[in-house]
This record gives sequence, C-alpha cells and structure tokens, in this order.
Amino acid sequence: MRIRLSPLRGTRQEAGTDIAEFRSALHAWLDAHHDELAPRFEPPGTLDDHVHQMQRVKSILFDAGWMRYGWPEGVGGLGGSPMLRTELGAALAARDLTDSGLYSLVEVLAPTVIDFAPGELAAEVVPRLLCGAEIWCQGFSEPGTGSDLASLACRAVPDGDARAASRWVIDGQKVWTSLAQYAHRCVLLARTGAPDSRHRGITAFFVDMDTPGITVTPLEMINGVQEFAQVFFDGVIVPADRMIGELDQGWAVAMSILPYERSSCFWQRIAFLYRRLQQLVEVAPDTERAAAVIGDAYVTLHALRSRSRVTQHRLAAGETLGAETSIDKVLVATAEQVTYDAARRVLPGLVEMDDSGLGALWRSEYLYSRAATIYGGTAEVQRNIIARRLLGLGGDE
Amino acid sequence: MDAAERALLETTVRDTIERGALRGGAAVDDALADVGWPEMLGAEPREAVEMVFRALGAANATASPLDDVMAYALDTEPRLDLAVVLPPFASWDPPGDTTAGRVSAFGLATARTVAARQLLVVCAAEGELSMAIVDAATVDVRSVQGLDPRAGFGLVRLEDVAAQVSALEPRAWDEAVALGRRALAYEMAGACRAMLDLAREHARERVQFDRPIARFQAVRHRLAEALVALETLDATLDAAADGPGPVTAALAKAVAGRSAQTVGADCQQVLAGIGFTTDHPFHRFLKRTMTLQGILGTADDVTFDVGRRLLAERHVPTLVEL
Repeated sequence: MRIRLSPLRGTRQEAGTDIAEFRSALHAWLDAHHDELAPRFEPPGTLDDHVHQMQRVKSILFDAGWMRYGWPEGVGGLGGSPMLRTELGAALAARDLTDSGLYSLVEVLAPTVIDFAPGELAAEVVPRLLCGAEIWCQGFSEPGTGSDLASLACRAVPDGDARAASRWVIDGQKVWTSLAQYAHRCVLLARTGAPDSRHRGITAFFVDMDTPGITVTPLEMINGVQEFAQVFFDGVIVPADRMIGELDQGWAVAMSILPYERSSCFWQRIAFLYRRLQQLVEVAPDTERAAAVIGDAYVTLHALRSRSRVTQHRLAAGETLGAETSIDKVLVATAEQVTYDAARRVLPGLVEMDDSGLGALWRSEYLYSRAATIYGGTAEVQRNIIARRLLGLGGDE
Repeated sequence: MDAAERALLETTVRDTIERGALRGGAAVDDALADVGWPEMLGAEPREAVEMVFRALGAANATASPLDDVMAYALDTEPRLDLAVVLPPFASWDPPGDTTAGRVSAFGLATARTVAARQLLVVCAAEGELSMAIVDAATVDVRSVQGLDPRAGFGLVRLEDVAAQVSALEPRAWDEAVALGRRALAYEMAGACRAMLDLAREHARERVQFDRPIARFQAVRHRLAEALVALETLDATLDAAADGPGPVTAALAKAVAGRSAQTVGADCQQVLAGIGFTTDHPFHRFLKRTMTLQGILGTADDVTFDVGRRLLAERHVPTLVEL
C-alpha cells in the first residue's frame, strides 16, 4: 500500500483529495481485515475486554503501518498530516473496533510527549504507545481542582537545587485518571512553584507507573465501570530527565493538548456518535415520533461535524487553535447527550429495563454521556471562556 | 476570487445594500443590479449568494434576490421583471399545477412580484415537473402585512391561466429549493449576527446594580449560547457550500431555523425592556428571522422530513468529510 504524503498545508480542496485517498485505502483494508480486527466479545463487554481489544487492534494496525501515518518519523511514524491519524481514529470508532474514549488517550498524550519531552525519550516511548505495548494515563485533575486546573496541589520537590537536581520527589493525589490501573506511564502535572503560583508554577513529568510510592485505587463510575482511578503519590522519585518541557512551564504542556483534543479526538467522537445513531435507526420503530427525534439528533450531529471539519482544517493549515474551540466543546457535549436522549425517547425502556447486551450497552453509554458537559472543562466554564475571549465581555464577578 | 478581491466586493455589496435599504422600495434590487449581482450569480454563485444574503440579513433590507437565485437554479436568466412564485409558508412543494398549457397555482409572492412583468411558476402534475412563465397582469396578488410587513411577501393565486410551459429535469425543483434554502439561511445568519451585536453592545453599556450587565454570568451565558448557535450555522452553511445538494441545504435551513430561535430568544432576553420597544431595531431582525424560518420549510418540518428519510432508508450518511 502506498499513500502519497504531502504536508497538507495547501487549500482545503487539495488537502481533501489526499485525505480522501487515504480514507478509501484505509476503509478497503479494514474491510479486508474485518475478522482479524473484530472484537472477540459480545457487547457491552467489560473494561478489560475493551482495553485488551484496543491494544490488540493498535498492534495489528502498527504492524500494517496504519497506526504510523500522521506521526513524525522520529517516533516511529511515517509522517504526513495529523489528519491521517484523525481519519484512522474515526474509522475505528465508526466500526466499533475500539472504544473511542479510551483510544483518544493516544491523541491526548503522545503529541505532548513528542513536542515537549527530550527527543530520545519520545523516540523510545511513543512507538510503544502506538503499537499497543503500553498504556499511558493523564495525571492532571485533583480532588481540589475540578475545572480550575491551575489550582493543582500535587508537589514535586527537587533533590537539591531545582536547576541542577538529578531527581524530583512527588507527593500528592490525582483523580479522574482514566485507565491508571492499566497504565505503564503517567503524564503528570505537579506544583513546582509556590502553592499560590497557579499556572506559573507547574511542571510536567513523565512517570513510570511501577515506581515505588504510587498507589492506584479505581473509582466506580455511575455506569458501574471502573474506568477512572485515584492515584496517590507518596515520595515518588522521578529522574530529572523525565521532565517534559521546562521547569515551571507545565501549563504550556497542558494547554498544548487542547488543539489535538478538540480537533482529532472530537472528530473521532463524532464518528462514534454517527455509528450509534446508525444503530438506533436500524431498530427504531417507523413512527412520527421516531422520525422527529432522529431527525433532530441528526441535525445536531451534522452541525457539530460541520463545525469540527472547519476546526480540523484550520489546525492542518497551521493556525493556532484557541478559545474558539470552546464552541466545539459545547457542541460535542450537547450532541453526545442529544444522541443518547434520542435512544431513550425512541425506544422507551431500552435504558431503563432492557437486560440484553444491547440494552446494557445503551444504558452504560447513556449514563457516561452525562459526563460530556462536565469533563474537559464544564459546559459552564466553556461559556465563560466564550463570553470573555470571543465576545469580549470583559471579566466577570 | 482571492481574499482581497473578496473583501472589496463584500464591502461594496454591503454598502450597496445598506444604502438601498435606507431608500426603501425596490432600491436594493436596483442597486444590486447596478453592482452586477446577476453576473456575479452566474460566474461565482457560491460567493455571490453568501455575500448578498448575509448583507441583506444584516441590513434588514427589503429585496428579493431570492427570485434571481431560484431562477438561476432553474436555468432561467434572472432579470428584475421576473418574479418566482414560492410555495406557501412552511411548504416546499412546487406551487403550481398545469394541464394543457394552462396553469393554476397558490403560493407566496416575493417583494418583486407587484412590479414584475412575468412570473415563473414551477408545476408538478402527475409526477412530471415543468416550468411555466405567465404574464403578471393575469395574476391575483394580495399583499400580506403579517408579522413583518417590511419583508414584502404576499399571496399569489393563479386560476387556469395561459402560460408558456416547458419541461424540467426531475431534480430541478429540489436543486432550486436547495439553493434557495441556502440563500435564506445566509440571510438569517446575517440577521442573527446583527441581533447578537445589538445584545452584546447593550450588555456592555447597560448598568444595573452598579455594573454593566455583561458582568453577570447569567447574561454572559445567554450571549455565549447565542454565539455558539450562530457559529454552528456558519459552519453548516460552509459545509452546504462545499458539498452542495438538497440534503446539506435542508440541514443548513434546519440549523438556521434552530439557531435563529436560540439567538432571537437569548438576545431578546438580554435586551429586555429596550428590546421590547419599536424604538430599538432588534424587533425588525427578530420578525424577519421568524418570517424567513417558514420560507421553503420550517426547521421542525425539514428536520422531520430528514428523520423520515433516515428511517425509510435505515441509513445515517455522514455527508461531511475532511
């Protein structure tokens, strides 16, 4: 298989041609390898099932080359526009081959390490993430932070002078850490400045999860799944060469994730939501209510997809994505909830009373969808950002 | 057209429409003809439709380049003395019916109809689509005041009138409705932007409890919600322009109706007392978007129709790709 790889910085039409070529080759390959890639479990599957499936699929795709497109050559990639890996993630989500929420951790964490970690470290570890040998987790949130990430308190103290220390000692607690119990590494934000230094005194570290002093306690979510965990750090020693970015520059590292999360991850999530609406349309009764509800969800998804497309192309054209992605965030959260509300309205009892595998899947995902307006900055925080930064309404109270 | 040319043209179109809107009557249509709108429509339909209709919405102008858009989509040369009969409010079926060279129709007359010499009526009879050109003098046009008299719509009725009838391709009407819907959605987007500008300005200037009301989170969130709705509409229109067709246009029209509802309600609430008076221009934009929502199909009806098709085909197409 050969795909022409241009930098994709031309017009949208030019970029679209290359991407379309990649997409059609990818889908042909996925069709041909369906049996090998298909999940080995019946829906809804346990978290173990989903994690195992994701790593297995990543491994197959890495060997076949697909998992390497859109990633820099220095970390085992084949180069090309990041939109290529967006297409891959979307194709996997659209076929239910991997859980799109779990898979998105790759897109959230790998670019950060590539952009900010020492080159040798990125070259060593990123291929292991891509090929399914490792899982990484994101140690950002804390019990006290909520949507105010800059208030984080987990401390990193240098062993000696901060500029010359050979190692750092970490103490504190993280929460909402997806897949921490499976993770080999953690991209951690820790306080290195004064307690009230907010975003000016945060540093990022790349921590091995088997380091002594780390304790992981899974949290059961409202749908019964233990996807998140609390992670406790008690005198955890991290070598100084595991610092990601510069001392006290962790906020920039954290913020560098946003453009990827709000373009690539969203596009993948959107593909997943189309898949769910497709499944709903396959079993919905042929009634006027179903037509109205499904039409409404479809309009919502189409509007979101249209918006996200504009955002992907802006990123690919080299623009810096900023506050305007809060609009994408509001839309994706709304669309996710509208999609699951549609299922509940079109098939009464599906979420509440259906003990089949399908019922369990919709129930679990319905409950999970309620978090869409909470994680990654609540819908209210997004509206605050839109008001201040996009509408120029000045500061609030 | 490069970015600089586009910006220059945009300014010209906006100024032309604003000046014409101040003079009233058919001034906007005449002025648009002077700046070469019909030629632009033929040469660069995408840019022309977007620029002109956004500016119309922003200026709350009375004009009917929609007639030109529909005529152009029906492969007929647009001209100022040709008006297109639109389907009745909230409908998008062809408004006419024809047998043996005679036409009956019931639909909406645009602002241009009173002064037009001829009317274009698309007819559907026994599954065959055709286009009739009738002499305007033979037609009964009744003006409608309604919610927004300045929009210039009326009702038109034709009963068994002689016409030149020619056959149309089966998809011709759907294509014309699609381009018409996009034009209307741009006009609604222009009006929504104007409403949000008014509400934003008011929120920054109006002082209550010793501070501008823009400092209150409840007000900020209303305006943020309006901006989300507006940006969503712009993106959907962009998708419809890049992938033109009846479905993307229908979705853009549905989003336009939905967004206009949100923007109108949020801005009206923020504008509060002053927005409730006719001293303030807000009411004109609100009434215009409410009226345009029903031309070529309301958001509810279009959404229902789209949903029914998805159910009939048991398939959810993605339409928009990277």
